[in-house]
Amino acid sequence: MSRKRGLFRILRQVLVVSGTVALVWIPSGFLWAAEHGAEGAAHQGGGEFKDLISRFINFALMVIILFIVIRKSSMKDFFSSRREEIKRKLEELRKGKSEAEAKVKELEQKLNKFEQEKKKILEEFKAEGLAEKERIIKEAKERADQILQQAEFTIQREMEAARTRLREEVAELATKKAEEIIKNQITDKDQEHLVKEFIERVERLH
Amino acid sequence: MISSKISRRYAKALFGIGLEDGNYKAYGECLKEFARFCEENEAFFKTVSSKIFSTEERARVLNAVLAKSDFPDVVKNFLRVLVDKDRMVAVGAISEYYTKLTDEVSNITRANIITARPLRDEALDKLRQGLEKLTGKTVEAEVTQDDSLIGGVVVKIGDMVLDGSVRAQLQGLKESLKRGEYS
Repeated sequence: MSRKRGLFRILRQVLVVSGTVALVWIPSGFLWAAEHGAEGAAHQGGGEFKDLISRFINFALMVIILFIVIRKSSMKDFFSSRREEIKRKLEELRKGKSEAEAKVKELEQKLNKFEQEKKKILEEFKAEGLAEKERIIKEAKERADQILQQAEFTIQREMEAARTRLREEVAELATKKAEEIIKNQITDKDQEHLVKEFIERVERLH
Repeated sequence: MISSKISRRYAKALFGIGLEDGNYKAYGECLKEFARFCEENEAFFKTVSSKIFSTEERARVLNAVLAKSDFPDVVKNFLRVLVDKDRMVAVGAISEYYTKLTDEVSNITRANIITARPLRDEALDKLRQGLEKLTGKTVEAEVTQDDSLIGGVVVKIGDMVLDGSVRAQLQGLKESLKRGEYS
């Protein structure tokens, strides 16, 4: 809609300027024709003065017409509005520029803040990571020590159990073998000797 | 099942009568003989001790047996009381406790001597004498044989056990080896 209005205004201005030029040009033509007619008739003899007068009148007419046309036409308004528009646009652009600059400044501040926060967070994470790493290493060492101790304890216990089992087996076999030998070799004399020893032990109990 | 407390009470009752009339040893022997008879004649024992039969029936059976015995009247009456009171089932335990009471009064202790091989009389006498000195009582020894002892003897007097067997020595040796005392 505004685009249509703008075209119409430009068209009107073109028509006004064309009309003005035509109005200036036509009287000049008439005057030029009058001059040359007078030249033919009078030839010289006060001709220079007339030429000067006609040129002056011609110029005056042109000025008057231009003055009237310009006054009557909207050229003044056109330029005025154009100036206002440019001024407004400039103002808007200035305002936009300052807003954009403020925005840029704000964004830069935010960016700086973000950078600082990022740096802080990274440092925190780094510190936490280091602490976690140390904790994990410490725990792992403790666990490893525990496992080693437990393993050592288990080994010792197993060795002790194995020694005990071996000792028991040896004892079992040795007594079994001794029993077999004694059973095969014991005599009545041995029995008497054993009974005698037993009686002596009983007597010692008094 | 009759408790040992009741058995002791009956034994003490008969023993008290025996002490009064001075026949406690004879009563003890009769009681022991009757207990052995019950042990050897299961059918008779079941008859006189079972509640399946009436008291009169059981008394009749007992009287029939006692009529053929030369037990003193005190013992016969005591056995009839056992039937009347349904205590005949405990006659073995009563007899055992009566023997203990008799032994206490007579200063006798009974020793169970278990030997791996037969003992010579001389060795047995020496052993008995040693045990009598140890206990301060007359020892009545009962000798049994047990080959598992391998050698030596084991004496049991009441709760006391004196083990002089080769088996025990081997057992001790085995325990010592297991403890590593010889390593």
